Amino acid sequence: MTCLELRESLVEQEDGSRPEQRAHLKDCSECATLVADLLVIACAAGELRASHEPSPRVWNSIEIALRQEGLIKPQHSHHSLLPSFGSSWGWSRWLAPVAALLLIAAGIYVRQYSHGPAIARNEGRPTVQAPVPDTTIAGLNASLKDDDLLQGISQQSPALQATYTDNLRRVNQYIQDARSTVDADPSDEDARRSLMEAYQQKAMLFELALDRSLP
Amino acid sequence: MRGPTIQFAAMSAVMAGMTVATLAAQTHKEYRFNVGPKAGVSVNNPYGSVTVKPSTGNFVVINAILASDKVEVDNSLVGNRVEVQSHLLAGADDRNARVDYEILAPADASVTLHSTAGALRAEKLHGDMNLEGAGANVDVRDITNAHVHVKTLNGPVSLTNVQDGHVEVDSLSGNVTLKGVNGPLVQVISTSGAISYVGDFGDHGEYRLTSHSGDIEAVVPDSTSADVSARTVRGEVHDDIPLQPKEHPSYVLQKGIAFWGTMGRAAASSTVVLRSFSGKIHLRKRSEK
Repeated sequence: MTCLELRESLVEQEDGSRPEQRAHLKDCSECATLVADLLVIACAAGELRASHEPSPRVWNSIEIALRQEGLIKPQHSHHSLLPSFGSSWGWSRWLAPVAALLLIAAGIYVRQYSHGPAIARNEGRPTVQAPVPDTTIAGLNASLKDDDLLQGISQQSPALQATYTDNLRRVNQYIQDARSTVDADPSDEDARRSLMEAYQQKAMLFELALDRSLP
Repeated sequence: MRGPTIQFAAMSAVMAGMTVATLAAQTHKEYRFNVGPKAGVSVNNPYGSVTVKPSTGNFVVINAILASDKVEVDNSLVGNRVEVQSHLLAGADDRNARVDYEILAPADASVTLHSTAGALRAEKLHGDMNLEGAGANVDVRDITNAHVHVKTLNGPVSLTNVQDGHVEVDSLSGNVTLKGVNGPLVQVISTSGAISYVGDFGDHGEYRLTSHSGDIEAVVPDSTSADVSARTVRGEVHDDIPLQPKEHPSYVLQKGIAFWGTMGRAAASSTVVLRSFSGKIHLRKRSEK
């Protein structure tokens, strides 16, 4: 099983428990890391789902972004792709999925850039796997409103708003700079890693905003 | 009595009264749990400090000082895990809901601490620890053979004498200081905080210090042996230590913004990666006294 086949097989068996998946993961640390990351995200999302749910607006905007990218097909019914949730959920409910999405989006972006050419070389044949369009991340980012985060902080912990505003500005600059470096030289592994780390920092910002210890 | 004297006496009386009232409102509580080996301790404290030190046996002792009756301490033993939560009541705020914890736990306990603004401290332990807090001031010292994961927004982080650790620190704008920290993995990522490393980079680890706009300084002794690469995009690098240049660097070593070489033994065992987008990177030798 190649790295590409492994990643395709994760659609059906995401925990990598099939024998052929296990055999590949045993020898490929990068794929093993990917699977571990996916499991962490899945577990975290499961825990959060039990107690917190995002507002329909957030899910809808994510759905719109995914539809625009053609990653999901239109549904015949008028129901949202994702279940709708009661109005009792607070502002912070969507932060964890947002953080996870940021990481997933960045992960996909970086990994695709990182592994696509290598796979093609190793296998000696063209690969049909194309990099995730930049617009996917742009779409997701567009749906993940910084203003919503700040508005939530202002309601929940007004004293922290200036701190979050400042850090949000800085981390957005980080992403922008890292992104421009990648764009200047897509083969620069350091730059790709920096971009991933920048997204991780932003995900952490959202995660801290969701901090259980917040009053 | 003169006017100023009366004024001073009145202010003193008021302040004394406030102090007495504050002390009177404070309450002290102590909880004790018997636990097994490799117990877990989890503390979630929005306001106030948490300090964890080793106990002398398989028990956990929690000493809590509560600022007022606007907060109470929920605690439970679930399996082999002690869970503590500062429970805020109606009318609670950052002053009257403050709880300061001092916790004694077995040295092999896994510790998870959450706080918004209080200081988080852990010392002389060898269980895994996870410390998180937006503005929390994190201080970890004398830790061996453990995973140490720290996340802060703008709180400063200080790690001292962490041996054989798996260390991951993420801070958006807090400064991070590592002294005598080594292990298989030592990674710090910051957006704008400065990163300072003082130590010898161990003998078999991967050290990765990254900041977008913060400065990075590594101060090492003569005996250090490591492959060191430093790179910045808009900042500058300074290298006070002679390095044996790499024959095949994976990026262009433009003077002033990148260097890559080996210090100490040719067969270096640790890998050090220093990255900053716009900050300064400085590798220098520790001055011997």
